[in-house]
Amino acid sequence: MLDAGLCNYVLVSYGHNGRSSDSFLRMMADMGGDDQVFGHFGAASCYALAARRAMHTFRTGPETWKHIAVGQRKWANLNPRAMFQRQPMSLDDYYNSRMTVEPFRLFDNCLISDGGRAYIVTSAERARDLRHPPVLIMGTGQHNPASDLQTADFMTGSTGAKKAAERAFAVAGIGLGDIDACEIYDCFTYTVEITLQDYGFFGPGEGEEWFKGGTIEPGGRMPVNTSGGLLSEAYFMGLTPLTEAVMQLMGRCGERQLGPQTNTRTPQIILCSDNGGILQTHACHILRRA
Amino acid sequence: MGTKDKYAIVGVGYTPQGSVRGRTTLSFHLEACANAIEDAGLTGKDIDGLICYRHFPAATGEPDVTPYLVAQYLGLDPAHLSQDAN
Repeated sequence: MLDAGLCNYVLVSYGHNGRSSDSFLRMMADMGGDDQVFGHFGAASCYALAARRAMHTFRTGPETWKHIAVGQRKWANLNPRAMFQRQPMSLDDYYNSRMTVEPFRLFDNCLISDGGRAYIVTSAERARDLRHPPVLIMGTGQHNPASDLQTADFMTGSTGAKKAAERAFAVAGIGLGDIDACEIYDCFTYTVEITLQDYGFFGPGEGEEWFKGGTIEPGGRMPVNTSGGLLSEAYFMGLTPLTEAVMQLMGRCGERQLGPQTNTRTPQIILCSDNGGILQTHACHILRRA
Repeated sequence: MGTKDKYAIVGVGYTPQGSVRGRTTLSFHLEACANAIEDAGLTGKDIDGLICYRHFPAATGEPDVTPYLVAQYLGLDPAHLSQDAN
């Protein structure tokens, strides 16, 4: 809309009363077919299928995912908006949370939230005169391997993340080494692993080694999902990660602000993702401080 | 490859979140949008494009939220509306 010269200020909006209404129940009720009879329905069971396949294909599982769940919770504990602000999570808490759909435990699943989120995009020139330091869009890319999960060859990577990121990085003219933090669409812990893996942070099966030791936590070398994310802040689809990147780059994140106070790099460039369906659509954005 | 650094995000709108009973999906859209406009230091008159993000089915008794509906309730008059797919 902006690049075609059609608009000057574009507002992007999301809202849902998913936690307190029957919206999800209605969605489930609309699903039909033999799979449902055997308990295979909804996003959780489909992502669980992908995660189980990944456990077969390369070295992953709860030993990897626990670092994601626990690491993101530490960020949520610093975020007054987070649904889990007041509930710390230990590694034992992770293992003790009940199985929902194997191999996922409760804490591998994202939240269901009431609420909304919105942001505004404009040209870099117009942005200069506004209230906050603008956050520039360095590069953006999409890739959408939109086949059914049952026939998909992308469950264990490459998902759409790989080509989407290649495009975004090509536009931005930078590399992975320039990224200070990541805000990754995290409908499930496995989604974070496969996305970062497809982005090239580590190879298949190297996730546990990469995540362990607090890599993504406050004080870590690559902070990930610094609001707590969909797992521990609140679920507003791709707007939870994207708006958090914006607020971090504007320097408006209070106690969880990246920089000296959380013993992390002051962020210049943040990498963001969103994916939809069951890994069938992917968008990657690279944002920077002006 | 011509879009590098040409566009910027300039405002973010939040709402109460978590378990917030008695609210419609539309009401969260409206509050988030109004807060984003204010956060950027703009007014509704400035907004000439509106995108509703991909979304879930409406709850019983609620309308499916479209950008047209959001614009109408906010009193916006955008030149372009778009609805993202799920």
